[in-house]
Amino acid sequence: MERFGQQQLVMAIIGLMTLMAGGFLFLLFRSPSQVVTTMRITDYSAERSAGFAPDEKAAPKEVKKIDFKGVFETFDGKPGTTVENWPHFRGADYTNIVKTKVPLATKWPEGGPPKIWEIDVGEGYAGPVVWKGAVYLIDYDEEKEGDVLRCLSFADGKDIWRRFYDSPIKANHGYTRTVPAVTDDFVVSMGPNCNVLCVSRETGDFRWGKDLKADYDTKVPLWYTGQCPLIDGNTTVLAPGGNALMIGVDTETGEVLWETPNPKGWLMSHSSIIPMTVLGKKTYVYCSIGGVIGVSAEDGDRGTLLWETDQWTHSVTSPSPVPIDDNRIFFTVGYGGGSMMLGLKKEGNKIVAEPIYKLEKTTFGCEQQTPIYFKDRLFSIMPKDAAALRGQFACLSPDGKIVWSSGKTNRFGLGPFLMANDLFYLLDDDGELTMIKASLTGYEVLAKAQVLHGHDAWGPMALVDGKLILRDSKKMICLDVSKQ
Amino acid sequence: MAELVKQPPRITRFTFLRKGMRAFVGLILGAIGGWSAFGARRRNTVWQIDPMKCVQCEHCSTACVVSPSAVKCVQSYSICGYCLLCFGYFQPDADASLTSAAENQLCPTDAIERVFVEDPYWKYNIREDRCIGCAKCIQPCEMFGNASFYLQVRHDICVNCNNCSIAMQCPSGAWERRPASDPYMLKHKQDYPLNKGQGGPRNTRPINALNAAQLEIELAPKIELALAPPSFTSK
Repeated sequence: MERFGQQQLVMAIIGLMTLMAGGFLFLLFRSPSQVVTTMRITDYSAERSAGFAPDEKAAPKEVKKIDFKGVFETFDGKPGTTVENWPHFRGADYTNIVKTKVPLATKWPEGGPPKIWEIDVGEGYAGPVVWKGAVYLIDYDEEKEGDVLRCLSFADGKDIWRRFYDSPIKANHGYTRTVPAVTDDFVVSMGPNCNVLCVSRETGDFRWGKDLKADYDTKVPLWYTGQCPLIDGNTTVLAPGGNALMIGVDTETGEVLWETPNPKGWLMSHSSIIPMTVLGKKTYVYCSIGGVIGVSAEDGDRGTLLWETDQWTHSVTSPSPVPIDDNRIFFTVGYGGGSMMLGLKKEGNKIVAEPIYKLEKTTFGCEQQTPIYFKDRLFSIMPKDAAALRGQFACLSPDGKIVWSSGKTNRFGLGPFLMANDLFYLLDDDGELTMIKASLTGYEVLAKAQVLHGHDAWGPMALVDGKLILRDSKKMICLDVSKQ
Repeated sequence: MAELVKQPPRITRFTFLRKGMRAFVGLILGAIGGWSAFGARRRNTVWQIDPMKCVQCEHCSTACVVSPSAVKCVQSYSICGYCLLCFGYFQPDADASLTSAAENQLCPTDAIERVFVEDPYWKYNIREDRCIGCAKCIQPCEMFGNASFYLQVRHDICVNCNNCSIAMQCPSGAWERRPASDPYMLKHKQDYPLNKGQGGPRNTRPINALNAAQLEIELAPKIELALAPPSFTSK
């Protein structure tokens, strides 16, 4: 009897352990729940509601005629006195390199370089130009909903005059993004919505205005345009895309002098036209969305398309072309696009443009600014997707190799950088200004200071007579960076 | 006369087995008791991802014991820029027409709904029934955009494993236990820190520029859903 009970107990225990093992195995190997899938069909419903489904012809948008004359106001500011000028995007020679006779400080007091003036500006990233003691800036008046071209005193930042015109747009990562162009006689500005205004430099008198959307069916780039106008002699050169790749406008009268046709329908980008000499010929080089073009800048055939390539096209192109020498141009872009060195050569009567090399985003690039070329080296702040090098200030040799970078403890954002004498000034997104030695061999910080306290300090800087003008999204300041 | 040496009592195999099983059952009962006690305390906490630590490694989509993962992408409408070109939505080499065609989308499961609001604003909603928590949209949003997309554990799906298999694999230590009464770690425009080299609340204007009707549609249901306390009764 006892033996029989013991046997039963043993069997029960074995059975229990078997059940537990089986349960464990079941839990371990049971199939995961099925994922129900449905066919993925795009019906473009969002695009249809926006009026531009790919399979539908978009209804023409009503473009309201702009009164460019607008409203003009004068103020009690007076121009200062300057010896040097900063006449357009990237400075006098389009290199963002300044050779100033004013000795520059190589160290700053605690608190940074002295601030000369500070003003409020509309939300955006527009940069200043300086001519004969006056600062010119395209701004946006949110309250009145329009572009406003401002003339300020270089000495104290006070307004001298403003010309406003209606251009209602919605905030889209701020408003303004461009740098005007100024000569002794005229100022030409490009508003965020591709509106071009020309006024007399001293008086602000209205000369002419062009709505590129209406005149050339320009498609406004994403987040509004960043293309800066170019004044070459008496001609204002613009790249509207749409019905013309490039146009030349008489700066005095506004008459269109020439147009470069756009048979392939390439679009306006944020990049700016850079004049340079290519294969001995003066050329306007521009990166559109669609490809790169070289247009003659010489009398006789100005406006003629000399060469083009579709080997460089990205949906967001902000940096402008960088001339390396007579037959090489460097291009870069952010958002994963990397860089390209383009080579140009003559083949019979034609000029052929072919990539010499392309670089991955992790090797070299620049998201919003344009690299600086100095002494056979390219300098840039690496984009955010450059992996280990992200945000670092890097030096590249023309054969595509990184020479040095600022290191993982010295990262920057999307802000501007310029070179003056033997110094680099780099501005971080949150307004920290760093001054380093302009070295071909390594990164050497000389001074750092928190000069702005807002965010998105991305607007191009200008340096004139030892004074540096810079901004964040809502404030513009002038600093004295000269040797005290 | 020699003393008898006391021999140790012999243990039979059956006795050994019986005593062993008693000990084993006792151990099991003890473990159950301990687990229950611990579980009572554990039930008051839930797992959550700290979006500031998340590195979008994609483990959330593959390591979860639930399939599809209990981790979903969520959208912070107050931080979002409502951009035409949303880097979290579009592939880097998307066609310049920027339509919602499948080949243009970054999301492998079409879990992001793109809705036109008014020029130039587009709204991006997450379809949670399709989201697998792979974080492919989050990395470019954080890099190039306002970083409004981020991952959160959804507690109507999560089974609240004691040893969360995702938490054990997370390379950045972004997983933590939170009180069940405060289960989410939401990003808000007003207290989102501006990190060097990362996205921030840059384009904060669109939320103000959109009309009131749109705002009502946008904010209310998402916040309510996000703050719903987790329910364990069904598990």
